[in-house]
Amino acid sequence: MSVAVVALVGLGFGVALVRRRSLATALVALQGLTLGVVALSLDGGDGGAMALAGAILLVRGAAIPVLLGAARRRTPERALVAPTTSVATRLVLATAVVLVSVAATPPLGLGDRVAEHGAVAMLCLGIAIVAFRRPAILQVAGVLVAENGVYLLAIAVPGGVPAVIEAGVLFDLVLVVTVAIAFAGKIHERVGSGDTDLLRALRD
Amino acid sequence: MIAQPAVPALAAGLVLASPSGRAADRLNLVVAVLTATLAAVLVTTALVDAPGVAWDGSWLRLDSAAGVFLAPAAAVGLASAMISPAYLRHAGRSWFGERRSHVYYYVAFNLFWAALLALPLASNLALAWLLIEATTAASALLVAFSGKRSALEAGWKYLVLTTLGLSVALFGIVVLYVTVGGHGFASLDWSSLGAAAGGLPARATLFAFVLIVAGLAAKIGWAPVHNWLPDAHSEAPAPISALLSAALLPAVLLIAWRTQLALEPVLGRTAIRELFIGFGLLSLAVAVPFLWRPLPWKRLLAYSSLEHMGILAIGIGIGTPLAIAGVVVHLAGHAIAKSLGFYTSIPLLRQDPATARRAARGIGRVSVATATAMGVSLVSLAALPPSPLFISELMILLAGIDAGLLVVSAVAAVLLALGFLGLAHALLEGLLGGRGRRGVGPGPRSARAVAMLTGVAVAMLVALTVAAYALPGSGLVEGLTGGGI
Repeated sequence: MSVAVVALVGLGFGVALVRRRSLATALVALQGLTLGVVALSLDGGDGGAMALAGAILLVRGAAIPVLLGAARRRTPERALVAPTTSVATRLVLATAVVLVSVAATPPLGLGDRVAEHGAVAMLCLGIAIVAFRRPAILQVAGVLVAENGVYLLAIAVPGGVPAVIEAGVLFDLVLVVTVAIAFAGKIHERVGSGDTDLLRALRD
Repeated sequence: MIAQPAVPALAAGLVLASPSGRAADRLNLVVAVLTATLAAVLVTTALVDAPGVAWDGSWLRLDSAAGVFLAPAAAVGLASAMISPAYLRHAGRSWFGERRSHVYYYVAFNLFWAALLALPLASNLALAWLLIEATTAASALLVAFSGKRSALEAGWKYLVLTTLGLSVALFGIVVLYVTVGGHGFASLDWSSLGAAAGGLPARATLFAFVLIVAGLAAKIGWAPVHNWLPDAHSEAPAPISALLSAALLPAVLLIAWRTQLALEPVLGRTAIRELFIGFGLLSLAVAVPFLWRPLPWKRLLAYSSLEHMGILAIGIGIGTPLAIAGVVVHLAGHAIAKSLGFYTSIPLLRQDPATARRAARGIGRVSVATATAMGVSLVSLAALPPSPLFISELMILLAGIDAGLLVVSAVAAVLLALGFLGLAHALLEGLLGGRGRRGVGPGPRSARAVAMLTGVAVAMLVALTVAAYALPGSGLVEGLTGGGI
C-alpha cells in the first residue's frame, strides 16, 4: 500500500508539472488504474465489492481518460498554452502545499497514516493544479486528482464505505466531467483556445 | 415523498419529446404546477406536525427544517417556470442553438429543480452530498445557457470551484464515517449521527466538521470561497438566478446546519459558533463594499446574496430560538425579494440592454412598473421597515446580544447599516439618477405582468412581516432548535 500511495502522489505531482494535456491525461489515467488495482487487492473475497471496484477502475482508469482524450482532440491548440509559473515554481509551491496540509492533518482513524497523508496530499495537489494551470483540460485533471485523493481515503477505510455512496460518487463524477468537457469544447469554440485565462470579462 | 423530486425528474425526460418550444413551455408549466402542489402538501404537513417529525424514512425525512427550506425551493421554482417562457422568447441564440433551446433549457431546469426539492428532504449526509453535486452539473449548464463568452466564464468558474469545494466536503464525510465507526449507509443519517455524537473523538470529528462546512461554504457562496457567486448569478438566465439565490444557497446551508446540529454534542457550542459566525461576518464584510459600487442590476443582487447568506450564517451560529426565528423569516423574505429582483431584470434588460454591463439609471422615468418592482425588491433587501428582513435582522442581532455576543452583534449591525446605505444609494440612482436619460418602457402586457408580480410579492412580504411576530416561541422554531432538525 505504501509504495502505491507514493506512486499516486508522484503521479499527482506529475500532473502539476507537465505542460502537455496528453501527458496530464495519461498520468490521471495511470492514477485511476493504480487506485483501481489497490481497491481490488483490498476487497478480496466479496463478489459485490469486487464488481464495484472493477467498475470504478474501468471508469476512473479508462472511460474518463478516454473522454478527456476525445475532448483534447476536438480542441486542438496551435501552440502549448504558456504556464503562468515555471516548472520549478510549481514544484516548490505544490511541495509546500502538500507538506503544510499533511503536517496539519490529525490522525483520521484509518490506522494507516501513509494512506491518510497520501489522500490529503492528493486532495491539496488537485486544488493547487486548478489554481496554477490555465488550460481547461488541465483544470479538469486537477479536479480528478483531488477526487482520486478522496477515493484513496475511501478505499483505505477498514471495511470500505457503503457501495451506494461509491456508486453515487462515481455517477456524479462522470456527470461533472462530461459537463466540464462540454464546457471545454464550447470555450475553445468561442475563444479559439482552451486557455481559461482568456476568459477574463467578469471583474468588479 | 419520492414523488416530489420524481415528478420534475420525469418531466426532464418528457420535455425532450416536445415537438416545439411552445409545447415545451406548456408541458413545463403543467409539471411545475403539479410539483408545487405536491410541495405545498408536504410543507403543510411538516408545519402542522412541528415540532415533531412527520415522516422519517431510510432516505427521506419530513421535519420542520424540510418544510421551511422546501417552501422557497418550490415557490421560486414555480415562479421561475412561469417566467421562463418570457425569458426564452427573447433569449435568441443560446449554447444549444435557437431551435431546440427551449427543450434543453427545460431538461436542465427540471433536473436542477428535482435535486433542489430532494435536498431539504434528504435524511442522510452522504445522500445530501450526492444531491448537491447533482445540482452542480445541471445548473452549470443553465448558468452558461446564453453561450456568451462571459456566461461560459461564469459557468466554468462555478463548475470547477464548487466541484472542488464538494470534494473537500466529501473528504470530510469519509473522515466522519470513519470517526463514527461506520457500518453502512445509515451511519450517516442525521438521527444516527446525532445519537452517536456524544461518544465520538472530538479532534477527528472537529476536523471532519470543518472540512464538511468549509467545502459546503464554496457552494453556499460564503466568503472567502464565494468567487463564483457574483459571476454565476449575474450571467445566468433571470429565472435561474432566482433559483440559485433563493433556493440553492439556502438548501446547501441547511445541510451545513443539519451537520452542525447532529455533531453539536461532541463539538460544543463554541467551536460551531466561531465557524459559522466567522463565515457570516466575513461574507458581510466582503459584500458591503460592492453594494456601494455602481454595479449592473443582477451583479448588485448577487453581492446582496453574499450579504444575506452571511446574515443567515450569523443567525445559525448564534443558534438561540430567537435567532432561529430570525433565520426562518430571513430565509423566506430574502427568497421573495431576491426573486422579484431577478425577475425584474427581464424587462429591465429588454428596455435597456446596456444595464447588463453598467448600473441602471433613471428607470423611474422610463417605466413605473419596472421601477416599482426594483424599488420593492431593494427596499426589502436593504431591510427598510416594514420589510420582514428588518424584523429578521433585528431578531438575529438581539439574539446575539442576549447570548453575550455583543461584539458580533455590534460589528454585524455596523456592516448591515453600511449595506443598507449602499443599497439605498443604488436604488435612488437606479430610479432617479442619470439626469435627462430617456428610453422606451416595456409594452402594456409586459408592464401588467411586472405590476402583478410586484403585487404578489408585496402581499407575501406583508404577510411574512405579520407572521414574523408570531414565530418566536412557536412549535416551528422549537422543531428547528430542539433536535427536530
